[in-house]
Amino acid sequence: MSESAIVSVAITEWVEAGHPTPLLIDRLTEVAVRALREAKMRPGELDAIITNTTSIPFDNPSYITTSAQHFAHRLAEKIGTHGVQCINVCAACASASISFAVADAMIKTGSLRKVLVAGVDNSPRGFYLPGQSVLDPDPAAAAIKVIGATNPAYWAMWARRRAYEMGKPVESIKELMALVKEIHSEYGARNPYARYKKVFSAKEVLNSPVVCDPLHLYMICATSSGGGAAVITDNETAKKITDKPVKIAASTVGSSVYGEPMPRLRVFSSLGGDKAKKPFTEWRKPIEEAYKLAGITAEDIDILECHDTSCFHTINWIDQVMGWEREETDKLIRERQIRHDGKLPVNLSGGTASFGEAVMSQAFMMIHELFRQLRGEAQERQVKKNLKIGACTAYGAYGAYGCIILEKGW
Amino acid sequence: MKKEVPIMDGLFEWPSENPRLIGSKCPRCGSIQFPKSNVCNNPDCDHSVNVEECFLSTEGTLYTYTIHAYSLREPFQYHKAPYIIGAVELPEGLIVVGRLKVSDEKMLRIGMKMKLKIDKLYEDDENVYLTYFFEPVM
Repeated sequence: MSESAIVSVAITEWVEAGHPTPLLIDRLTEVAVRALREAKMRPGELDAIITNTTSIPFDNPSYITTSAQHFAHRLAEKIGTHGVQCINVCAACASASISFAVADAMIKTGSLRKVLVAGVDNSPRGFYLPGQSVLDPDPAAAAIKVIGATNPAYWAMWARRRAYEMGKPVESIKELMALVKEIHSEYGARNPYARYKKVFSAKEVLNSPVVCDPLHLYMICATSSGGGAAVITDNETAKKITDKPVKIAASTVGSSVYGEPMPRLRVFSSLGGDKAKKPFTEWRKPIEEAYKLAGITAEDIDILECHDTSCFHTINWIDQVMGWEREETDKLIRERQIRHDGKLPVNLSGGTASFGEAVMSQAFMMIHELFRQLRGEAQERQVKKNLKIGACTAYGAYGAYGCIILEKGW
Repeated sequence: MKKEVPIMDGLFEWPSENPRLIGSKCPRCGSIQFPKSNVCNNPDCDHSVNVEECFLSTEGTLYTYTIHAYSLREPFQYHKAPYIIGAVELPEGLIVVGRLKVSDEKMLRIGMKMKLKIDKLYEDDENVYLTYFFEPVM
């Protein structure tokens, strides 16, 4: 089996969602070309182009939006190929992460050597309102219609339950989430690609309007437009291209797990009683698999980038990545040990808290941050300690999860 | 007189004196689902027989909840803030997400007993649209 490595990553600036310009295909080609330039690679050398599909809303039920779901093919046509494997990956907000997993698996089996992974998205604005197609009126996906359960409603219910299980008042997790936002925003302000540069205080966050109690407005990410591209190759090729290749030690894909008690996004029910597993089992599973593949344990993780669509997510991801008692996570955050000089730096990109969510392309900003951090190129955000291994965790609706472990390859 | 119409067919018995949520149960492994499905969802079941429709318990305990402070935009503008969403754990081992109905949100406690109530979600010129709620057992 071959090893795989990232040789270049480029991302766009994350901007306000919901505008048709600049054209997404233009942003995609520009960022793809930047990644190819950094890799000193021509499009004709590529074996495959793998893109994530998008969350772009259907404007009219009479028209099919096939174009937005075929960015790999459109990108290939725009940058030119001699014939390349084009694959479009769909896994809700975890899509880009799963694109990496597909590329990684294809390279590790030896079937491909040079892959461009890319994607851009332009989110719907405001609460995501999942449309029911007349051709796919799935009753299991109608929670918004029947009970008005938006995504933040589920996150808020998870947060309240965590506080309850820890025997704490809900105010304790509220304060913790506000502190997470304060710390993430400090790093967003230092990231030229982040949409939001304002540094928030925890007090300002707690003074923002409540959206879904205990979640306040500034604890929930905005919806944005953005994306990125990365060139991934086998390790031998990578070493010829760069003296600082970043190895993909593991890239795993998760799904819903039978027995998960915590109601995942958009569902009407989950399993309780004796049959229920530990809460968030399905978040943890791809992480455990990634550790096994990479031959590491949680203690080996030097830096984490996690998909924080709300500040509760950061807390829960630390719980799941570390696999320790939840109190340890609270202590880590309260002592501000998730900063660049802390024990476990988390979301030094500024996180989705500072970028907003470009739904299906979101993992690019996390991968970009880990790539730059491991190579010592993160400038004002650079971690103080010596880094070897970083983890990226992604999650989305329908039980879509991904975990990527990156390692210094030199 | 306006007609009372469930917001979605197949979720609960209606019309009925004592309506219950409608689920499905696998006769083979006993796995219960809500809403009802056409197949068993247990990965370790041999799926050798078809699932059957079943009715869920009307009482359970509050697992978690949130107060939704923002109204939704069209076409879901009838979800007017503030409204409460919660998850209720039923004795058959299912946690059901639904709307909560309570006179004072401050009385909500995780673990408290809740019971099913079918009630008005909203109305238009022709119909009153019904959905399922859980309310505290007094």
